[in-house]
Amino acid sequence: MTPTVGGRTIGDRLAEIRAQRPAPLPTPRPRDRAEELARWFGARLEVADGAATVVLERSIRLKPAEAAALGGLTRAVYFDTETTGLSTGAGTVPFLAGLGVLRGESLVVRQLLLPDYPHERGLLRRLCAELADGERIVTYNGRGFDLPLLASRLTVHGFFAEQAALPAVHDDLLPIARRLWRRPLGGARLADVESAVLGVRRGSDCPSGEVPLRYFGYLRGGSPEPLVAVLDHNLQDIVSLARLEAVVMLLRAGAWREVSLLDHRGFALELIRLGEPETAREVLEHALAGTGRQPDALHLRRLAARLLVAAGEAERAERLWLDGTRGASAETAWAWVEVARLRERQGGDLRGALDAVTAASRSLDVAFALGRGGGIGEIGAARVAVERRLRRLRRWVAARERRSAPRRGAAA
Amino acid sequence: MLTERPTGTDGAIAALLDDPAVASCIVAHRELQPRPPRYAAWPPGMDQRVVDGLRSRGVEAPYVHQGAAYAHAIAGRNVVVVTPTASGKTLCYNLPVLDAIAHDSAARALYLFPTKALAADQLVELRALADAGGIGLKTHTYDGDTPPNVRAVVRAAGQVVITNPDMLHAAILPHHTKWFKLFENLQYVVIDELHSYRGLFGSHVANVVRRLRRICRHYGSDPTFICASATIANPRDLAEQILEAPVELVDDNGAPSGRRHVLIVNPPVANEQLGIRGSALLTGQRIAERLIGDAVQTIAFSRSRTSVEVLTTYLQETFAPAPGHPQIIRGYRGGYLPNERNEIERGLRDGRVRGVVATNALELGIDIGGLDAAISIGYPGTIASTWQQLGRSGRRAGTSLSALVCSSGPIDQFLATHPEYLFDSSPEHGLINPDNLHVLLNHLRASTFELPVPGSERFGIDETPALLDVLQEDGWIRRAEDDRYYWSHENFPASDFSLRSGAPENVVIVDTTGDRNRVLGEVDLFAAPLLVHPKAIYIHEGVQYHVDILDWDERKAFVTRTDVDYYTDADLGITLKVLAVHDEADAPRPGRRQRGEVMVAWKVTMFKKIKYHTHENVGWGSIDLPEQEMHTSATWLVPPAELVNRYDRETLAGALIGLARLARTTASLLLMCDPRDLGVLAQVQAPFTGRPTLYLYDAVPGGVGLTERLFDLTDELIRTSREAVEACPCADGCPACVGPAIEVGPGGKRTATELLAAMAPAA
Repeated sequence: MTPTVGGRTIGDRLAEIRAQRPAPLPTPRPRDRAEELARWFGARLEVADGAATVVLERSIRLKPAEAAALGGLTRAVYFDTETTGLSTGAGTVPFLAGLGVLRGESLVVRQLLLPDYPHERGLLRRLCAELADGERIVTYNGRGFDLPLLASRLTVHGFFAEQAALPAVHDDLLPIARRLWRRPLGGARLADVESAVLGVRRGSDCPSGEVPLRYFGYLRGGSPEPLVAVLDHNLQDIVSLARLEAVVMLLRAGAWREVSLLDHRGFALELIRLGEPETAREVLEHALAGTGRQPDALHLRRLAARLLVAAGEAERAERLWLDGTRGASAETAWAWVEVARLRERQGGDLRGALDAVTAASRSLDVAFALGRGGGIGEIGAARVAVERRLRRLRRWVAARERRSAPRRGAAA
Repeated sequence: MLTERPTGTDGAIAALLDDPAVASCIVAHRELQPRPPRYAAWPPGMDQRVVDGLRSRGVEAPYVHQGAAYAHAIAGRNVVVVTPTASGKTLCYNLPVLDAIAHDSAARALYLFPTKALAADQLVELRALADAGGIGLKTHTYDGDTPPNVRAVVRAAGQVVITNPDMLHAAILPHHTKWFKLFENLQYVVIDELHSYRGLFGSHVANVVRRLRRICRHYGSDPTFICASATIANPRDLAEQILEAPVELVDDNGAPSGRRHVLIVNPPVANEQLGIRGSALLTGQRIAERLIGDAVQTIAFSRSRTSVEVLTTYLQETFAPAPGHPQIIRGYRGGYLPNERNEIERGLRDGRVRGVVATNALELGIDIGGLDAAISIGYPGTIASTWQQLGRSGRRAGTSLSALVCSSGPIDQFLATHPEYLFDSSPEHGLINPDNLHVLLNHLRASTFELPVPGSERFGIDETPALLDVLQEDGWIRRAEDDRYYWSHENFPASDFSLRSGAPENVVIVDTTGDRNRVLGEVDLFAAPLLVHPKAIYIHEGVQYHVDILDWDERKAFVTRTDVDYYTDADLGITLKVLAVHDEADAPRPGRRQRGEVMVAWKVTMFKKIKYHTHENVGWGSIDLPEQEMHTSATWLVPPAELVNRYDRETLAGALIGLARLARTTASLLLMCDPRDLGVLAQVQAPFTGRPTLYLYDAVPGGVGLTERLFDLTDELIRTSREAVEACPCADGCPACVGPAIEVGPGGKRTATELLAAMAPAA
């Protein structure tokens, strides 16, 4: 901890500043700068109540299929902000708000840019009015960041009525994107998803970490030029947000049959959450039927089988598991165990269950002997479970047969 | 040999006092008489549920101080309550707060405690009281231990939020919008243990209160502050300085207390010539052993972490538990992890732990139940903390014992010969300097993040606009067209600095002995070079660890368990550079006295290995660690030139070392501060003055105003030092005055006396 800066003590610097003080610091001419900013972007400068907001409007044509997918939904505002920092503390200010609404086949994006901090009230009022126009707000990680930050700003300014008038429905696409793409992509940042799923290639983009610095640079008297990339970045975010929702709708409508980049299990879970277990099961069965070995076949099968059982189709569930019993491996053994469980619980068929577990045990013997089908630990773990079940079933089957044996004896 | 074993605590204490070996060392013995309670009437407007709740918990009427505090609080007057340990201080604030919430469930209160442990204790206490009265109170602690799901509830609905200043600084104020329900309806702010907010920490807390006030104003509330403090000389001043508002004082204690023996024990002289006395640690150990052996639950306080560990080791050897049984003697100090500390606190309450050796970690009022005896080994540094340590015994009715065992240190010996200083003189002043520029600038940054600052606003000092310009120049904030300064930086300022020490981080101690690395504890950055330099022996819970690597950049020390018969002691090398002279004493005084700003740099250069029990030096090693520095304020003395020329350099050097030692002691008495808050440095030829110079500086970055005050007291400083050295019976110096002859040289004491005489103002 060094309390001097550039070799001068704070005392020295205070003295210097006191000496300079009579000469007032150059004060920016506010209106001129805001107008200059608006002119730079060819935007409107809207002044209400003494507070100015730079308003840009751009219209982006969507793919017809995507526009159609969105057209059927309740009126949404696609919302994203750029801020002066990453904390949601009281000193972080959203200086740019992007709002997209669907109009016909186009997405109309309105961007509200703050000329300087004192105008924030104007931007917030305008922003709330725009949001309140929609029936729901759609964001990417808005639950964790944009909306709490907005709430914080509204609280600072005492805009409680505006806050209460915001749409109650909020769809955050981040959790959905996580379910659908995080595993295949290894991440679910908007940048990851839009490039892989939407095929978006951003050109001269502005890295997120630089966003606050560019704005501060402008405020300290710099040119608005570095903000161009920030506005473009925000515009692209809004467009990707809308398109991503369209893609999710299209997937739900059946596009899942065609795509390869999808976490089928995550998608199935999402469908179950949405109350569409039928489709979820179809997705899972489709994935299992797919060519090539599915790395998470066991999980897919388990979820699908659970859905079948819930739908009262235990036999189909058993068949599904039997499909997974080809070959000899730990995974095969687990499939046999599931078959056994279904036979025992659904059909009360102890004998059949015993046969299935015996098959599981045999499968492990083979896998062990060949040294394939799972590591020693995996096979060992399966072995423990299989042997336990095997012993119990043998006992129960023997007991049941003893109970029926005396009757036969009496008849003799 | 047949001895009569005493029965019970009373008997054990009586037997100890009668023992000639102990009695011969007792230099002062006061018996504090039991005192009956004095009550106030129930205030007429108080909610009946609160009254019923207290009655059901055995409180028939409030004590007079509780009644007075309540009356001030509900009238909206800030109040500070100063009464001894265990006098029912908590009720002084719990009464008005519960009453307010009983009347209006929207009312809110914020409680600040210096530690999480205290906050947790108070939560239990407050809940029990509310439950007893049938008041549905929503309250919880809000600190690092609060689970995330509870946090959201506390923010939105907590009627009483119990936290610490650090949390308020780093987590609550910067996120005030999430807490607007609290700030809108904030009726009371409770600051307990006010006396602990002294020095740098207090200066920070005063600024946190400034920030809190700004936010309350923003949300339209104006809370009343209720403070509670242990006995210090200036509780009202301190409270008014922290709150920057008028404060009423309540100090008429109505609580009863039991009989208490308070002793000052001075170990016998071991070496007349050198003026060396027997070890305080060993004397304290013997008293503790007798008491614990007679089943008297005892706490012993020792000043340094190292001596705590040493004493713990000795006592654990004496009272070794049967195999498989837990230790009945435990060590307790700041570096331990929370669960270790909790376990020891529980053990004390339920009696499984019979003896505890502690640093001042237990000084703050954690309720560990009544202990029978408290022993302070070595003067803890301040009168207030001495009484706090001694007050750990005798919380219940019944006889108890408190003993201060003097070391050979100068203040200890001063107390041994002037016991009235402990018993009768007023204790220390809590000094803070909220306008310390380093502190102020940091909080101004944090405050600007929280709410923009109008150019006309004053944050503490009139120079606020100049400070704002400094921050603007550094790129943290920016003045906008509405003449307000806005936070204009991507960082989050409150996480940049800590309230507790100048050092922003701690060094983590990692034990690499087992298969997996394990965190043992932490030491602060300033202390790290002294305690965990490479090859140091670091002692934790009586176990020795060898420091293998100190990774300074990563702030980690890697240690392995070891078992050696020595401990290590590191030497500190200090350099000082004067940056500016602010004031100079009037001409007619002999010599020169100045005060100003200085840059102090220190570096640990070598360490010694010292053998246990015999304390002989068995080796040394060098240490290569980066230098640390701070900018602070200082006062310095230059003896008259004509006198100085009479001595050779070596004699002068010895005399100055002696003088420095003496001046530090005397200055800490005059300023009523802990000697550790002051740094001293003697230079035979100081680069700045070109002459022999004695520097005294505030030992925290930016200073807390100690040496500024000392500058006005230099005449006193010289006179008192002269009296002390002249009154000391030793021949050539001893630890009680200028230091032993081996350190100050054969002529050291005489030369120091002559220098003092020459500098003394003409009578």
